[in-house]
Amino acid sequence: MKRDWKRKIIGGLCLTSVAFVFQACYGTPQDFGNDLLVEGLVKSKKTGLPIKGIKVSVDERVQYANTDENGKFSLYIDKLQHANIKFKDVDSTQNIWFSNKDTLITINESVLTSKQPKVYLNIELENK
Amino acid sequence: MVTMLKQALFRVFRKLETKHHELNYLFWECTTRCNLNCRHCGSDCSKDSFYKDMPLDDFLKALDTIESPSEHFTVVLTGGEPLLRKDIELCGREIRKRGMRWSMVSNGYLYNNEKHISLLNAGLGALTISIDGLESSHNWLRNNDKSFERVDIAIGLAASSSRLNFDVVTCVNKRNFQELEEIRTYLIQKGVKAWRLFTIVPIGRAKEDDEMFLTDHQFRELMDFISESRTRKDIDVKFSCEGFVGEYESKVRDSNFFCRAGINIGSILIDGSISACPNIDRTFSQGNIYKDNFFSVWQTKYELFRDRSWTKTGKCTECKDYKNCQGNGFHYWHGEKKNVLVCHNERLKKTTNC
Repeated sequence: MKRDWKRKIIGGLCLTSVAFVFQACYGTPQDFGNDLLVEGLVKSKKTGLPIKGIKVSVDERVQYANTDENGKFSLYIDKLQHANIKFKDVDSTQNIWFSNKDTLITINESVLTSKQPKVYLNIELENK
Repeated sequence: MVTMLKQALFRVFRKLETKHHELNYLFWECTTRCNLNCRHCGSDCSKDSFYKDMPLDDFLKALDTIESPSEHFTVVLTGGEPLLRKDIELCGREIRKRGMRWSMVSNGYLYNNEKHISLLNAGLGALTISIDGLESSHNWLRNNDKSFERVDIAIGLAASSSRLNFDVVTCVNKRNFQELEEIRTYLIQKGVKAWRLFTIVPIGRAKEDDEMFLTDHQFRELMDFISESRTRKDIDVKFSCEGFVGEYESKVRDSNFFCRAGINIGSILIDGSISACPNIDRTFSQGNIYKDNFFSVWQTKYELFRDRSWTKTGKCTECKDYKNCQGNGFHYWHGEKKNVLVCHNERLKKTTNC
């Protein structure tokens, strides 16, 4: 711990704000962890069974993921305090047709500042 | 006086960092297959690599030996072209499951909208894409007529992400040297925030091709270009950490030259070798994940990386700047290692009075 302070003080005195943030010459910049893991399970409200093929997206952003055969989804999104997670049935002709759902989530400060912030959502969709 | 004091402090800092040698940047050469056949390739990659891609499980076993990874520990997927791996997203997710972060270096050829989304979903946090000129000179260097068209799409997508720490790199050579200002304008128009410039190392396919290498005068002009660009503040332009550039040290980068290979940077190469940056001579390998415990090697070996006094040979022997430079970038020591391949500082000194 003492050694770490010494490093930081000397690094700071060098006036190099980037003393501890570097990139190898043939590598990438460092990742500062600006994301949040959103995972969850989508089930039918009527039967309780998982639903495959539901499109999960965030606000109006380009990212989306589809639920797998176990109704599960997982995606890293921008680290936001509030996000509108949208669930949309995109293969209604193949399975039962489910209603779309929007879920507004609010992320606690303690979650956002944790090393690997994540939220888990249990979602139930109604039949259309 | 102030500069000398800063340099002295930086040397103390470098010494502490070397003693501490915290691993926070790990290259994984996950494939040596490549979909391009670039003229400047230092690793002679090709479509049909001699090596098979390293199985993810083999890499994860090595990764799992790391005790208490540092706060910003990042695995950097490199190649070859990492996007040729069909399990790239799975690789990323497995790294993230371990509380670590991951990033990738790509030529951008396969980086389309679908791939952009799947990589973000898998927790990609940083990305570097290379562009080596405007259309004609880029395609020439990449040996592919569609290369610019494809990388243009990739750059647009990556720059549109608010969370990716993204930069573009350019290998400066005789052909694209006159285009630097135009490339700069192009990148700003694409929304790119950071641009890193390199020169080409005389190894691999590049070493026999004179068009790859700037003259000493051009090299000084490159330093002037970067230095002047940095005053404009519309894009973060910098010279890579490839070497010590004497009088330009404070003008072309955010920090003093410090080759962190083997100090903070490690690698696991395609054959399991444990080393530092992938472009470093493979004879510097410190072990192999198929025989050794990766983290134990990191903690106890790497003597040649952490004590560079052996580089005070050849043209470095009498150099007055050696204490600040310490033999230039480690990747400039090849073969017999009797002399540094390139001395940037010497190139600049040769043109001082012109």
